[in-house]
Amino acid sequence: MKVTWVLPGGEEVVADVKEGVNMMEAAVANNVAGIQGECGGSLSCATCHVHVDGDWLEKTGEKGDFEEAMLDMADGEVTGASRLSCQITASNELDGIRLMVPEAF
Amino acid sequence: MTVWTPNDDGFADLSSHDTFVNGAPHNTFARLRRDDPVSWLDWDGGKGFWNIVRHADISELNRNYQVMSSARGIRMEDQTYEEYLARRTFQETDPPEHMKTRVKVGKAFSRPVVTGFEQQIRDLCHPILDAALDKGTFDATKEIARQLPMMMLGRIIGTPDEDLPWLVEKGDALIANTDPDFTDHVLDKMDTDEYRMMPFNSPAGAELFDYAKRLIEEKNRKGDTDGVLHMILQPDKDGNVMPEQEFRNFFCLLVAAGNDTTRYSIAAGIQAMCHQPELLGQMQEGGDIWATAPDEIIRWATPALYFRRTATCDHELHGKTIREGDKVLYWWISANRDEEVFDNPNRVDLNRSPNRHMSFGQGGPHVCLGMHLARLEVRVLFEELAKRVKLVEPAGEHKFLRSNFVGGIKELPVTMQAQ
Repeated sequence: MKVTWVLPGGEEVVADVKEGVNMMEAAVANNVAGIQGECGGSLSCATCHVHVDGDWLEKTGEKGDFEEAMLDMADGEVTGASRLSCQITASNELDGIRLMVPEAF
Repeated sequence: MTVWTPNDDGFADLSSHDTFVNGAPHNTFARLRRDDPVSWLDWDGGKGFWNIVRHADISELNRNYQVMSSARGIRMEDQTYEEYLARRTFQETDPPEHMKTRVKVGKAFSRPVVTGFEQQIRDLCHPILDAALDKGTFDATKEIARQLPMMMLGRIIGTPDEDLPWLVEKGDALIANTDPDFTDHVLDKMDTDEYRMMPFNSPAGAELFDYAKRLIEEKNRKGDTDGVLHMILQPDKDGNVMPEQEFRNFFCLLVAAGNDTTRYSIAAGIQAMCHQPELLGQMQEGGDIWATAPDEIIRWATPALYFRRTATCDHELHGKTIREGDKVLYWWISANRDEEVFDNPNRVDLNRSPNRHMSFGQGGPHVCLGMHLARLEVRVLFEELAKRVKLVEPAGEHKFLRSNFVGGIKELPVTMQAQ
C-alpha cells in the first residue's frame, strides 16, 4: 500500500508499506523527519504524532484511552485529526493514506 | 561508558564492578557481538544471567515486553517478591500497568513542556561555566557536569537550592551504590540486608523517603501546586491516587536516575572534546550540528550500561534457549558501539544521522521519561561552553565509577582556556 507523509514545509515522502507494519515503523524506516517513534510503538512516548488527512481519519479506527492520554504530551498542535501513528497499521483499506507531520513547537 | 582505547583482554567479567573502573570493556563486548551474541554468565553474587550485546537483538527483545518482563527487577541482583514490591517504581512494571504511571508523569517531561525550560537552562549555565573557567584547570565532572542537572532537578521538583547538594549526594549513594566514593554501604561488599526493602538497598533511600514526605507536606501546607510532584499526586480519572510507597520510590528515581545520567553524558562530551580537538571547532561553527550533537554525545556516554529483563517463557535466540525465569541483560553500551549500525563507532561524530543509539532504551515501553530534558541540557550546555572556550585539554587521568550498571567519569581533570 502507498503512504504519503506531508512534512510541515509541504515536502512529501511517499513509500510503499507492507500490510501489518505500523505507520510509525514505516516512517522511521523511510527517515520521515519529525517522526521519532522512540518507544517502538508501545504508547510510551508520543513522538510519532501525525494529523490524518480528511476522510482517511475515520478509516484509521478509534483511539484507545492510553493513546488519547499520550496525545496530551505530543509535540505539535493536537487536533481532532491527531493520532499516534504507531497505532495505525497498514492495510489495503488505507492504501493512499496521507499523514501530515505537524510542525514541532 | 567512555573509554578511548579499551585495554581489556576481550574476556572481562561483566558481572564484576571492578571490571568497569578502567571504563567499559569494549574489547569484550566486540568479541561477544562477533562470536557469542547470547552468552550465559555465572555469577557468584546470585543466579547467573544472559548477556545480549547486539543492537539488532536488543531492539527486537526490547519491544517484546510480553516475553521479557521488567516486573521482576531491572538490575542483575536477585530480589524476592517481597523486596520487589517494596522497592519497585514504574520502571519495574510492564504495560498496561506501566502506562498508568506513564500517563500521569509523562506530561511534565514531554517535549512541549521541556522546550519551555531552554532559557532557564541557559541562565543556569552562565554562572556554572564562568566559575569553572575562572579556575582554568579543574575537575569537569565536579565543576560543570554535576552542577547543571542538579540545579535543573531542583527547578523541576521545586526544592530550595540549598537542599540540592544534599539531595544529589543521596541520589549518588543510591545509584552508585557499588562505588565506595559514593556510599558507605557498597552493595556487593557489605551485608545490606537491613536495607533490602529500601530503594537500591541503601539507607540513603530512607532519608530521601523522609525528605519527600516533608517536602510534600510543606507544599500542601502552602498550597503550592507547581512542579512534577503535585502533578503526579493528582487522582487519575478513576479517582485513584498513587500510593505513598510508590510515590516515594518515584521520588528516589527522579533524584537518582534523573540526575547522574545527564551528568555523565556531559562529562563524556567534555572528555570527547579533550580527545578529538576538532569537536570544539565544529561546535563553534554551529548550525545544523546542534540537531545531532546531543544524541551523539549521549550515545558516546551511555550512562545506563544495561537494564535487566526476566524471561516469562522459554525463548530461542541464535541457537540458545533462554529459559522462563532467566535474567537477561540488555547491554546498551554494547549496542551503542555495534559496528553493524554505526560507522566508526569508537569515534564521536557530531553530525551522525540517523543515530539509532539506545542510551534511552529506545524502542521499548521503558524509553527514558527524561530524554527530552537530557538532550536539551546537553545541547544548551555545549552551546554555551563552545561560545566561551578556545581550548579544552586533559589535565590528568580520568577516573570511572566502580559500577557495571552506571557508566560515568567521576573525575575528569581538564584545562580550559577562555576566549
